Amino acid sequence: MSTPVAIWRQHKTLSPYLNKVGKLIVWTKIFVAPSGFEHQTPYLVGIVDFGDHKMPLQIVDCEEADLKLNLKVITVIRKIGKAKAEDVIEYGVKVKPL
Amino acid sequence: MKIKVAGTGLTKFGELWSKDLLDLALDASNDAINESRLTKNDIDAVFMANMLHGKLTGQDHLGALVASSLGIKGASFRVEGACASGGLAVHLAIQSLLAGTYKNVLVVGAEKMTDAHVSEIISALMGAGSEQERKAGLTFPALYALMAKAHMQKFGTTRNHLASVSVKNHYHASMNEKAQFPFEVSMEKVLESPVISSPFTLFDASPITDGAGAVILTSDSTTPGVFITGSAVATDSVDLSSRKSLLEIAATKQASIKALKQAGVEIKDIHLAEVHDCFTIAEILAMEDLGFCKKGLGGEFVQKGHTRLGGKIPVNTSGGLKACGHPVAATGVKQIIEITHQLQKRAGKRQVEGANVGLTHNVGGSGATVVVHILQS
Repeated sequence: MSTPVAIWRQHKTLSPYLNKVGKLIVWTKIFVAPSGFEHQTPYLVGIVDFGDHKMPLQIVDCEEADLKLNLKVITVIRKIGKAKAEDVIEYGVKVKPL
Repeated sequence: MKIKVAGTGLTKFGELWSKDLLDLALDASNDAINESRLTKNDIDAVFMANMLHGKLTGQDHLGALVASSLGIKGASFRVEGACASGGLAVHLAIQSLLAGTYKNVLVVGAEKMTDAHVSEIISALMGAGSEQERKAGLTFPALYALMAKAHMQKFGTTRNHLASVSVKNHYHASMNEKAQFPFEVSMEKVLESPVISSPFTLFDASPITDGAGAVILTSDSTTPGVFITGSAVATDSVDLSSRKSLLEIAATKQASIKALKQAGVEIKDIHLAEVHDCFTIAEILAMEDLGFCKKGLGGEFVQKGHTRLGGKIPVNTSGGLKACGHPVAATGVKQIIEITHQLQKRAGKRQVEGANVGLTHNVGGSGATVVVHILQS
């Protein structure tokens, strides 16, 4: 996971990405996760097309059955991974169905 | 291009608990040197390919570590390009020979992966991805699963198409004593294994592997060996979503066009290929992007048996990454070794009849680095 200063630096860059609407173009459900994400499995990740750029983002607040090609999604701010008790909590951008 | 593979060395691939990284690198290197009939004093430089060892154990400076342990006093380099590290090291070694800087060089690719926990390996491998991909919790199985889903949506590629890559490569590995999984699997076994990242099951993925491969390359025209007549590298964005299309690995097209042109051959002249099947969709994309079949028809091409031993273009006779194993930085070197042995008619039960021109295709990350080599007898 990121260091506290890297998290502080990255948090400053989040605001332009929030409340953006995009289209879901492809997704997968992950059952085997990297370190720091094991507690979330299974979880959904997709590529979202925002018109001028595309991004890989976790998809939250829905089930896989709710997803379909070109589904409209909106960016939200959520915790990234799992911080230990003494660590800084990292936040980042995810999407949920609109 | 007058570069030859003068010697080869390959360890067993698998869970090799009694060997550490240095043991593996030295075993493969000593075998390659002995086969070449050169002495260590004849080796001008060592190119050591490795991706993960520094991250997993804290031991870096691997070029000097391997060269000095071998008693080689010349130049030494560590080369890293994710899963294409081995192919990149071969490419760089060739450039040094063509430049006339060195005459005989050792290229060794080695990786020691099974000492670490699976989640540590998954995280370490994601060093080959982008920061945004890591923050999304993506894994390499998941990145290739996204490509597979896009291919299925666009071209109607099926789970059976994907699984047929795994079945075929296990069949080839069943004839390779160096393979991690030297046994056949059924279509049902592949389809019914646990899902790791939809639509992939466990048997769509290459395994975590220990192993090493080494080759001696020379520009000395008097030394016998198989010729490397084309060597090219192409690069694309590290971030998958930034690519123009999810339906291809564009760097494969670019690298293969350059390598074929250097070799003075066309794709129809290739008799066999070792391609980067880190996941089943990767072999299907490679068939299309290298030009062995039309875009969108890769799954059908494999399922019809065209890439099986005895087919139109045998692919991954070693068992590929899927069944021979994928010790990351060793893979690109192992591909060169498999094609060399095929062109020397020493591949045993998996020998491709009449093989005189072969191709290797080594991919780093989700397609950011691609290395293609053409070999000729």
